[in-house]
Amino acid sequence: MEMNSQITPFVKATIKILKDMLGFEISSGGVEEEKDEFLSRGFSVLVGFAGGWKGRLIIDMPGETAMKMASAMTGEPYAAPGDEEVLLSGAELGNIIGGNAITDINNSNPGLQIRLTPPSVFAGEGMTMFNARVSSSSVLINTDVGQVKVNVAVEGA
Amino acid sequence: MRGIKGDGTAITVMAVDDSPVSRKMIKKALEPEGFQVVAEAGNGKQAVDLYASVKPDVITMDVTMPVMDGLEAASQIKAINSRQPIIMLSPMGDEDIMVEARQRGINEICSKPFKPDDIINSILKVL
Repeated sequence: MEMNSQITPFVKATIKILKDMLGFEISSGGVEEEKDEFLSRGFSVLVGFAGGWKGRLIIDMPGETAMKMASAMTGEPYAAPGDEEVLLSGAELGNIIGGNAITDINNSNPGLQIRLTPPSVFAGEGMTMFNARVSSSSVLINTDVGQVKVNVAVEGA
Repeated sequence: MRGIKGDGTAITVMAVDDSPVSRKMIKKALEPEGFQVVAEAGNGKQAVDLYASVKPDVITMDVTMPVMDGLEAASQIKAINSRQPIIMLSPMGDEDIMVEARQRGINEICSKPFKPDDIINSILKVL
């Protein structure tokens, strides 16, 4: 399946952070072309961006994976995906992944001047993620602590 | 123990970041090497307000924060003490932000994600 090239910087940033910052082993889990909606695995980080490109990044994973990622960041164990520090870790992960991706895009495309919105984090079972007016692409990344979906929607892409 | 000075005291750090998790990650990277995080601030204004009473050996400064961003806070702290070492610690590495950071007197730039050695080496470089 052909992947929208605008997702590439976000996937590269996610892989870099999962490997370099969290020390996970990773492998490709495939590519998905999403329709209007997809079902969350239980923990979603949303970061919007605006400027030369308008859209948003969603990093989606099971709650168990989110807890293990938070533990890798802080060194502490967590009991539930809704723990405040797990949510804060998800936000920081989204901020770092989004920041690295946007930096890559801005430095490769002078003048785009893309900036990020503050991240939002959602934890809960059965959440449907719905996109109005934009289609999105997803790349799945397998890690030692579970599968992560990187979903990117860019207006006009 | 790279965080210990020649006189046996710890190198002191003020960590400025709106993310408590990020501040925790900074402490996790530094404290095993003997550095002492003596103050934390969640935005640039808090950092400026705390600065005079803390006077750390080095400041790690995020850029994008509410109330006052890290670049403005760095300018205000440099106006108080032009010799205060400040390290920018941010995932945003756009060339225009880097140029502005240098213009405002930021001594060193360390990108997120960082490994413990990245931030430790940055601190040792500016002292």
